Amino acid sequence: MSAGKAAKKRGKPKSEHSFYPAWCKRCGNCVAFCPRGILVADEWGYPRQQNPERCTACGLCEMLCPDFAITVGYEKPGAMDMTQAAGGESKDFETPKPGSSGSSSISPERLAPAPREEK
Amino acid sequence: MPTVHRSVVYDWLRHDKKFPHVWCPGCGLGILLGSLVRALAEGGYDKNQVVLVSGIGCSGRLPVYVDVGSVHTTHGRALTFATGIKLAKPALKVIVVMGDGDATAIGGNHLIHAARRNLDLTAIIVNNLTYGMTGGQYSPTTPLGAKATTAPYGHSEPSFDISALTVTAGASFVARSTVYHVTQLDQMLGQAIKKKGFGVVEVLSPCHTNYGRQNRLGSQLEMMKGYKKQAVRMERWDKLSPAEREGRFAVGVLADREYPTFLETYQGAVERALAARREG
Repeated sequence: MSAGKAAKKRGKPKSEHSFYPAWCKRCGNCVAFCPRGILVADEWGYPRQQNPERCTACGLCEMLCPDFAITVGYEKPGAMDMTQAAGGESKDFETPKPGSSGSSSISPERLAPAPREEK
Repeated sequence: MPTVHRSVVYDWLRHDKKFPHVWCPGCGLGILLGSLVRALAEGGYDKNQVVLVSGIGCSGRLPVYVDVGSVHTTHGRALTFATGIKLAKPALKVIVVMGDGDATAIGGNHLIHAARRNLDLTAIIVNNLTYGMTGGQYSPTTPLGAKATTAPYGHSEPSFDISALTVTAGASFVARSTVYHVTQLDQMLGQAIKKKGFGVVEVLSPCHTNYGRQNRLGSQLEMMKGYKKQAVRMERWDKLSPAEREGRFAVGVLADREYPTFLETYQGAVERALAARREG
């Protein structure tokens, strides 16, 4: 059974990628080991999702990411849209002031683009 | 589908530590960290139940990032500290994260004796075939002929097989995996943590900064693709001829057996001593 048929059988998988550029070290694991080949590196080496509809949400990129910089199928605060190039024009990252983020369950680096409350 | 969602990793990280972590881009230790957290969450352990002990080296930084009780100990002595913690508080799950130099060179003695004693610990041995943090000196697991900072013309000693060593020394559970086989690694860590007795998981992890550079193995991508090529499942490994085994290694569970643990045998000795006192 092809991956497409399998995905159709169990319903469309949640394949939205979230990406935290502040944590990414541009090692290239996610791009190299994506079984569908839908992650491509942009000019800086950050991953970008090329054909989101082909994603099977297997989660291999997330598990092989040593820096927890990419997630599949769910969103965490501070993530940015994967379909845009990282370091895009709209979002500029400010360094958070020490002690400014109240929550202890979120790293300040992840909150950098758009601080939001969790729960 | 896994019962525990992958997002659980973020709940177990210590977010007041500086992220991204200190390891090189692409280092397998980050993959192992995520795998360990998923295995702990899958096993249903509470954060207060778990203690992570580490020695010195790149792997010594691993417990720092996990929000459980953690001890960063001296070089090679992680297992001795863990033995003390386990004997003082037997209810705790004590997990020891060591590198290959930590486990087989400086702490080699402690490793075989912990395996012989069969104390209820889990030892995760990250094998990157070199001393990565100090600049790529050869370690006891560096293969014969491989180059290192202290062996620029090729290493002249044969290497240790950590898994075979601990199987012989009497560990209850021994498994080998690589950071490339990450789903298998999740399962093996879960099995080893659940197992009563000394559990060893040897995790092969690429050190492209030192070992890979000196031996012209390329980046961590090439090294991980190499793991994919070289790794042979345990069932197939038994059927291979010695010539076919050249340059390859077996992944999977190497030993899974029921031996009495140290706490059980020690409890037996305590009971016998008490009985002798009552009689005499």
